Amino acid sequence: MVSANVKVTNPMGLHMRPAQLFVREMTPFASEVTIVHKDRTINAKSIMNLMASGIKQGSEIEIRCEGQDEQAALEKAVALIESGLGE
Amino acid sequence: MRIVDLLDAHRIALGARAKDKSSVIDLLVNLQEQSGVLSDVQAYKQAVWDREAQSSTGIEAGIAVPHAKSDSVLRPSLAAAVLQQGVDYGAMDGQPSDLFFLIAAPADGELHLEILSRLMQLLMDPSFTQALRNADSAQDFLQIIDRFERKTFEEPEESASPEQPEESYRVLAVTACPTGIAHTYMAAQALEKAAQQLDISLKVETNGSGGAKNILTEDEIRSAEGIIVAADKQVETERFSGKPVLFVPVAEGIHRPEKLIRQILDKEVPVYHHAERSSEVAVVDRAGPQESWARMLYKHLMNGVSHMLPFVIGGGILIALAFLVDVYDPQNPAGFGSNTPLAAFLKTVGGMAFQFMLPVLSGYIAMSIADRPGLAVGVVGGALAAAGISFTTIASGATPVSAGFLGALLAGFAGGYFMRALRWLCDRLPDSLEGIKPILLYPVLGILIIGAFMCLVNPLLGALNHGLVAFLNSLGGVSKVFLGAILAGMMSIDMGGPFNKAAYVTGTGALATAAAAGVASGAIEYQMMAAVMAGGMVPPLAIALCTTLFPKKFTSDERRSGAVNYIMGLCFITEGAIPFAASDPLRVIPSCVAGSALAGALSMWFGCSLMAPHGGIFVLGIMNGKLLYLLALAAGAALAMLLLAALKKDIGKR
Repeated sequence: MVSANVKVTNPMGLHMRPAQLFVREMTPFASEVTIVHKDRTINAKSIMNLMASGIKQGSEIEIRCEGQDEQAALEKAVALIESGLGE
Repeated sequence: MRIVDLLDAHRIALGARAKDKSSVIDLLVNLQEQSGVLSDVQAYKQAVWDREAQSSTGIEAGIAVPHAKSDSVLRPSLAAAVLQQGVDYGAMDGQPSDLFFLIAAPADGELHLEILSRLMQLLMDPSFTQALRNADSAQDFLQIIDRFERKTFEEPEESASPEQPEESYRVLAVTACPTGIAHTYMAAQALEKAAQQLDISLKVETNGSGGAKNILTEDEIRSAEGIIVAADKQVETERFSGKPVLFVPVAEGIHRPEKLIRQILDKEVPVYHHAERSSEVAVVDRAGPQESWARMLYKHLMNGVSHMLPFVIGGGILIALAFLVDVYDPQNPAGFGSNTPLAAFLKTVGGMAFQFMLPVLSGYIAMSIADRPGLAVGVVGGALAAAGISFTTIASGATPVSAGFLGALLAGFAGGYFMRALRWLCDRLPDSLEGIKPILLYPVLGILIIGAFMCLVNPLLGALNHGLVAFLNSLGGVSKVFLGAILAGMMSIDMGGPFNKAAYVTGTGALATAAAAGVASGAIEYQMMAAVMAGGMVPPLAIALCTTLFPKKFTSDERRSGAVNYIMGLCFITEGAIPFAASDPLRVIPSCVAGSALAGALSMWFGCSLMAPHGGIFVLGIMNGKLLYLLALAAGAALAMLLLAALKKDIGKR
């Protein structure tokens, strides 16, 4: 398993549209993708789980990837979050 | 921020039908609009579509959460729908969507994110979504959300809004009367006073002439034990669905506030169910279940009269001013009122306001009966009545004879009940026609029916109306005085109730008919108006005089409000006398009726005439026979005062 800490930069946090984008981009990876936020572990490939987490701007989150393409998945996930998910 | 607090039973559509994404959004936005949370429906709908354009809000497992933040959202609100059959909403998993939550959030803040997050936490639980889809009523739907919210977020069972305890009331009330000047506020005051004595928290919304004040919020309605609706006109009751609601005339609120509050507290009041139609904006039966047939008719009538009054008063006073500023030309008596440019301007504008009087009267009667679809039908019916169109006049080009206000009353009631019948019939049509009912079937068929109906009855009513005016005109000497006594006496029998309004509508109706026909001042119609006004001015004046001259017969509270009655009386606001009449009806009412009748009779006998429908002492300047009118008023007030003084005992001797 690999993991990285990132800060959410979207002005409105991970609301539905960025969450959808994140899930869409991460789905092709075979690895399990989870986000740890405020001691909660969230399945980051489920739009509902992601939105239910209510991650706001400035939140520190830990992204964990586990699987055969975990390194690529993690790089992609970090890049997505850091890019502000199109916002 | 709980989900149940953002949602409301009437913003939930269960078993709804929609053929595509567009119709689902229409349905949801319509639900949202009903609660008045949107200042601009189109702008909000556009914002929803803009959001959909970025990416569909259809997520997975049949769930879609359309949402928009917009300046047009006044306060955060949710609407929900469960479709019978899912539609393609562009969901991420490609499945059709059938469970919808539409979020409306104000433009500033992160509220919608919090709502989304909270909603998602609930929606992740399949047993929750399954329960929602199986909910058999909107109340059930709300209860399911409430239950799961408590479970998921571990909230205490008793949610008496601990963060704002001062904003919860045990009893709520709405007061309204047709004119919205006096009764509304007197009932509100009486209820508040009674609640204070009972040590009960109570909030009153007043639907007066200036619009609703102190509006009850959804939270307050939810947490209250029941609602008292003390009203003589339509008030918005849909929001009370599912709560015990006590429907009474506004007078009950003034006379028996304590009893009403006790009825709510003792749970003697049945739960009110608003007729719910999932996909229709308007609802047929807005009235309470316990209302008598006669009271319903009165309420519909008053809805029309109260909406008509501004037109009558505004138009009437402008026309009166036109006569006041104009120069009388003996060569051209019919042109009086429009000889000078200023007078002509005032008369034209006032006349325009009068033209709307009958359509507005019948339109709002019909709307009271059949809700929104009734309005257009009633307005057109009233306009046809006012113009007096009949099949004969259309075919032969003969001059139409107006059916007058009687015709407009008929058009309003007929139009309203036609629309009810039409809606009942349309309910039997296939559901696929649902969408075209309000935009095509109701207006086209409704207006066609009322048009044919009015063309049939207009000739009859026109003749009756003319017959009445001719009859009234032919009354001379004693019978004219008798008419004045009757009209004025009726004004103070119930001071704002059916008798009073009947006399007032007769006076203003006669005035409007005559003014529209260009009848010169001094005619019997204007004399009737003067008598009616005298009848309405006497009761407060008599009571004011009595409190001044016979203070021993009144409590200190009564003496203080007695002084205000001088102003009320001079302004022709009969309602000022009501607290006195209410506390001692058997002595006050006969005295006032006798005094009013005398004033009306004298006014007619003197031939005093008035060309404005309201105004009290302020329209004295435009009256004929000013001094004699004052004499008539003084005589009436003096008689009523003396009778009252003779009947009433000193406070100490009671």
